[in-house]
Amino acid sequence: MEKQPMETAVEQPRQNDWDLNELIERIDGDQELLRELLVMFREDAQINLEKTRNAIGTGDYEGLSRTAHTMKGMLKNLSMGAAAETAAALEQASRENRQGDSGQLLGKLVKELERILPEVEAQLAGVRL
Amino acid sequence: MRILVAEDDVISRTLLERTLQRAGYAVISVENGAQAIAELVKHDAPRLALLDWIMPEMDGVEVCREIRRRKEQAYTYLILLSSRESKGDIVAGLESGADDYLTKPFNVDELKARLRTGHRILELEDHLVEARESMRFQATHDLLTSLWNRGVILELMSHEIMRSRRERSCTAVMMCDIDHFKSVNDQFGHAVGDDVLREVARRLHNSVRSYDMVGRYGGEEFLVALNKCNPESAVSRAENLREKIAGRPIQTGGKPVSVTISIGLALSSEFTQSTVEEIMHQADMALYAAKGAGRNCVRVAQPSAGAKPTEEQPKETQVLMP
Repeated sequence: MEKQPMETAVEQPRQNDWDLNELIERIDGDQELLRELLVMFREDAQINLEKTRNAIGTGDYEGLSRTAHTMKGMLKNLSMGAAAETAAALEQASRENRQGDSGQLLGKLVKELERILPEVEAQLAGVRL
Repeated sequence: MRILVAEDDVISRTLLERTLQRAGYAVISVENGAQAIAELVKHDAPRLALLDWIMPEMDGVEVCREIRRRKEQAYTYLILLSSRESKGDIVAGLESGADDYLTKPFNVDELKARLRTGHRILELEDHLVEARESMRFQATHDLLTSLWNRGVILELMSHEIMRSRRERSCTAVMMCDIDHFKSVNDQFGHAVGDDVLREVARRLHNSVRSYDMVGRYGGEEFLVALNKCNPESAVSRAENLREKIAGRPIQTGGKPVSVTISIGLALSSEFTQSTVEEIMHQADMALYAAKGAGRNCVRVAQPSAGAKPTEEQPKETQVLMP
């Protein structure tokens, strides 16, 4: 078998970032609820990212693990699979006090959220109409 | 049906609330384990609960342990919700007293199906409790009159006499017997006899305070124990019971039947050195005296008669009826 060169994925495939159809199915097509959840997500994502940054800054790995856990649940519920996996890895790394990994994973999580947030905004704009 | 949702993450909580409301549940939401406990120990608490594993204050597993520790309550069906998926976690969750386990994000159909299982368990529990209560009633009450049965009334009365001794108060023991009951049965039949027994029981029961005790002692014999009874008013209270029966005829299948009762009264405060059995015997002797004095009257056992009066001494019981 021919050896494939290792590829480093710079970007996750888009459809893995946010499975909106799965979310809509979960909430039984309730557009009002969708909007409510996304508004909550927009606020919560910022608050929780801030919390994780502070926790890393102060070396509070227990707090970091807790916040990462909350984010994992939130992201899973909203069918944001890739970011949820990163949050899960961050929860694990912080529980094991792996400082380097935690910082790296937080960076990854921030990037993933930065990709999702405009989509969420677009969806909110669309839902509002 | 009402259900408790305990979840700290607002998005998960909102999702659960809406899903459950749509499925017809009345949802009570809380944000941590301490609040969950506070809701679940209320008198009218929901019997179904969805608990997130990781929550501030007290986590879901601790909530399960605490609820199971309090066994006096009706059963609560507890489902743990978590993003933890390892076998070890599942086992730890169930060992803590959870009935079931769901991983997040939940699948709506699975959630509903698992809640239906919860309903079935709760219904089963209700039936069992109902059956147990019914058996407990049957084991402690007289089938015909629904009064305490002989064993229970004797036990309750013994406790009461012991307590009145400790507290230096008085328990009035009344042995009541329907006069000429055999002739009621002979004349009108056993069905009418049963009606008479039921009505006498009802009148006796309704004529005493809620914390007094009335039991069926034997065929047509009833035992009444009045707690914390003022010895001076005991006779008039016995008179009142007698009057409640003699005062108006009993309606039995359209046919009014007049009956009377005789009462032998013994006051525990007059027999401080006697055993419960001896006090019962004194009440029995007084009843015998009441029968001898023409029935439909009250006689009081006298301590001067000695601890063990004989049947040949009815004259020594005080005649109180005019």
